[in-house]
This record gives sequence, structure tokens and C-alpha cells, in this order.
Amino acid sequence: MARLDPYTPTPAARAGRIVMTVLPFVMGLVCVLLSFVPVGRVFGTSVMPAFALMAIYYWAIVRPEMFPVYAVFLVGLVSDLLSGGPIGLWAFAYVLTYIIVLTQRFLIVNAPFSVFWLGFLVAAAFVGVIGWAAASLFYGMLLPARPIVWHLFVTVALFPLFAMIFGRIERRILPSG
Amino acid sequence: MDPNRSAVPIREISNRISLVFMLTLAAALLLLGRAETYVFDRARQVVTDLAAPLLEIASRPVAAARHVVERTDEYAYVFDENERLRAENARLLAWKEAALKLESKVARYEALLNVQIDPDIKYVSGRVVSDNGGPFVDTVIVNVGSTQGAKSGDAVVDTDGLVGRIVATGDKASRILLLTDLNSRIPVVIEPAHYKAVLAGDNTDWPKLEYLAVTGSVSPGDRVVTSGDGGLIPPGLPVGLVIQTSDGFLRVQTFADRDRLDFVRVLKYEFPSNIQRQDPPAVLLGPPAQPKPVEQVKPAATIPGAPKPATPPAAEAGTRPVKPAAQPSKKPTTAAAKPAPQTPAAQPQAAPTVQPGQMQPVPDVEDATPGTEDTPGVE
Repeated sequence: MARLDPYTPTPAARAGRIVMTVLPFVMGLVCVLLSFVPVGRVFGTSVMPAFALMAIYYWAIVRPEMFPVYAVFLVGLVSDLLSGGPIGLWAFAYVLTYIIVLTQRFLIVNAPFSVFWLGFLVAAAFVGVIGWAAASLFYGMLLPARPIVWHLFVTVALFPLFAMIFGRIERRILPSG
Repeated sequence: MDPNRSAVPIREISNRISLVFMLTLAAALLLLGRAETYVFDRARQVVTDLAAPLLEIASRPVAAARHVVERTDEYAYVFDENERLRAENARLLAWKEAALKLESKVARYEALLNVQIDPDIKYVSGRVVSDNGGPFVDTVIVNVGSTQGAKSGDAVVDTDGLVGRIVATGDKASRILLLTDLNSRIPVVIEPAHYKAVLAGDNTDWPKLEYLAVTGSVSPGDRVVTSGDGGLIPPGLPVGLVIQTSDGFLRVQTFADRDRLDFVRVLKYEFPSNIQRQDPPAVLLGPPAQPKPVEQVKPAATIPGAPKPATPPAAEAGTRPVKPAAQPSKKPTTAAAKPAPQTPAAQPQAAPTVQPGQMQPVPDVEDATPGTEDTPGVE
């Protein structure tokens, strides 16, 4: 509790703050679930964006202390377990990307939104390459790249919308920040 | 939640040890997962079971929205659609006539040949509640679990054709491996020529045809159905049409559209390994119907080609005393017709007397059982 003090100057708000603090992680999990809801079928496609990657990138840039590497790992792992694919694939790709994003965070953190978006494009491309390479190694063959390219294209295209939603939530949680 | 709470105190993201640790852990999982241990499969099922109700709730509005979109589409094309359906209906009526004729014909042939009829397949219906699992796998989750009787290996079909098969079941939900997935292998038959092959997914939209013995005899547009080899998937389920890709390879366009999966049917197929014997004489008494004596004889001419000629000719001999010699002479060219003249010639004396009773006692019935297995191979 004491460690939460910087966030919670007033004791009355502490309980609420704790809930708020785990909210990004919960949202990460919701994003994972959301990416398995067949929304694309409405439009007759099964290409779904990687919502979890959006959440990970957003919080890694904006508030990394609220989305620690453990959370990233768990989000990736749940994603793996739900997808039925190789276990650890997305966990690995997301954690690695998270680490890279953290090292480059200073470039983006106070930049305009276009840079933020461009950074996401690079991050998504990185995830794609890592994921594709790991999956290809796992299955011992070169997998077709088209599905992952589409997957990430849709993800990058929809990122501004979700960044806006995350931004609202962030301001709601941390009006001061 | 819990792991996150323990993670909250770690505010210094420069804590490289935890970063490296998690990365190593993920890589280790990836390597361990290659071994496909029981723990991972169990974890998958538990997570799938937990997520299935949530996904089901979330997929409801999606299904509703899709319904609205489709209805709007339908309204836009209602006139064209009506025209098309009229034409199709006219065409199908002609087909229906043909199908009915063929049905009765096949039923009679099956009776004559004592073909083992496939047992009825029970099924349970469910709704696909998840999207396919990302860019590297083609699996979906269906809200039918082991409590409803689904089990690993069951074939899944929708209104168009085979969708895939179940690879893991939890209590309330199961995972379907779609035909297009990298790990999917389905034994199929390419229909007109009856060539066998294995339909192998490779994460593209069109699965490949592997182990196809004669590529030249298969042409685009041929129909692909399941062969039932291996006993896991019932034979004869429609799968798709053969297409030729631009690079010249034969692939299959599946009838089932994986982008539009909704309600599916899980077939609880049991390989017919333990079936009671059928008794052919009772059935064979049927054909004495007079209207077309000529047609009834035709099977008799072909039957002797089958391994067990004793049963049918005897019964036939009883039913058609009129012209036993004329019919065999009708088909002198076929190799199968050669034993025909002998058997009816040998039997006429015996047949009328034994005909009502059990003229094919135990040995003949035993003989008939392998015969029925052989006949599909013979034809």
C-alpha cells in the first residue's frame, strides 16, 4: 500500500486507486478476448486486429509502470492459450516488443500523435516479423506471410480509434497524469 | 489479477532482470510447447472453457449485427435473388426426379448386393463463438463440449459441407481445427474418378491435395468428399471443389466458408466396427415385382462378378422362370457375365424348393459379410 502513495495522496481514494491501477492490465485481457470475438464476420472476413498489441504499446509508451512486463507476458500467454497455436509465441513476441518499445520510449513519449502512430507501425512490423519467424521455426516450415500482414495492417489502421479510447480511460483513471 | 498485484510494486521498468526473466520464460514455454505436454493441453482447455461463456455473450450482438447486415443485403438483391431461385428451383425439380429414381434403384441394388448400410450418425449442434485464432492458426471455438458428447476427432459440418474436426474438448466448449489449418489432414476422395488423396491445410485459403496418385485424371471442378479412411470422419461428406491455382497446383475450394461460420453440427460418428449381420434372403424376396422383369435381371448378371454368386442367382432363378437363358446371353461380352450362365443353370432345380426357406444358411451368410466389404472395392 505504501508504495502506492505517489498515486494516492488521499487515503480515501486508495481502494479505488488500486482498482484503477490494475485496470490497464484488465483492459489488456479484455483486448485479448475481444480479438477472439468474431466481429469480422459481420463484414464477411475473419481478419481480426491484434487489440492486445494496441493496449501493450499504448501503455508501454504512456504509463509503463501501470503495465509491467508480467502483465504483458500474461496477456500474451492468454492469447496463446485461446488461439490454440504454439504456447509462448505471442508471449514471446509481445514481451520482446515491449522491451524494445521501452528502450525507444523517449523518442515517442512527448511527440505528436503521428509519431506515436508511426511508432506503432514499426512495433507492429516488429511483432509480425518476430511472430512469423518464431511460428515458422516452431512448425519447421515457411508459413505464408499474407495472414499476418493483413492482421497487422488492420491493427495499425484501427490503432488511432483505440488510442483515443485508451486515452479517455487513462484520463479518467489519472486526471493528474 | 493476482500476478498484477505482485507486479504493481515493480515500478522501475529499468529492472532488467524481470524483463530478461519474462523473455526467457516465454522462449522456454515456446520450446516446451513443442513437446505438446499434457499440462499445456489442459491449460488450453481450462482457458477455453473459461472464455467460452464470455465469448458467447460477446458473439451474440455480433451475430445480430451480422444478421442485420445480411438482411439489408438481401433486401437490396431481393429481385435478382428471386429470379435466380426460380431458375434454380426448376433445375432442382428435375434433379429431384432423377434423385428419387436413383434412390429407389440404389436401394434395390443395395438390397440385392447385401451392402452394409452405414448407421445413422447422431449429431449435436452448436454455435461458433470465437474467431480463428490469429494469423498462424485456423481454429475456432464452438460452444459444444464433452458434456454434450463432443469428443476429440469428431467431424464438424455446417450447411455447406465439412468445416473441420474437433481437436480438443472442454466441458462446455471445444476447439475445431479448420480444414485450412496447417495441421489439418483429411482423407478425401475426388469423386468422378474416385481417386483418393489427403486434403492438407497450409494456412492459405485453399488446402492442398497431397498423395494424389494420378494428378492428370483430376481436373478443376471435380467434387471432393471425405473418404472415411481411418474411420474418424464419416465417408461422403462434401468438402469442396478442385481448383487449379495460377502456379498449376491442384487445390480445393471448400464449400464451407470459414469467414462465415455460425451454426455448426458436430457429428458423433462411430466407426461401424460392431454391427449385426444382415440377412440377405429376406430382402431378396422383394424383387418379384412384375412390372420390369428385364431390369431385375440386370443385377443378376452383374452379381456373379462379385465374390459370392450363390445367393442372388438362386433367388433370381426363383423369381424369373420365364427366360433364364435369354438374359445371360444379353451380356456375353463382360467378364462378369461368364459365371452367370452356369449358376442359374445349375440352380433352377434346387431353387424353387428351397426358395421360401433358409436356402442360404450360416455358411452363406458368413460368406456374404466379407463380400459386402469387397463389393465397393470391386466396383
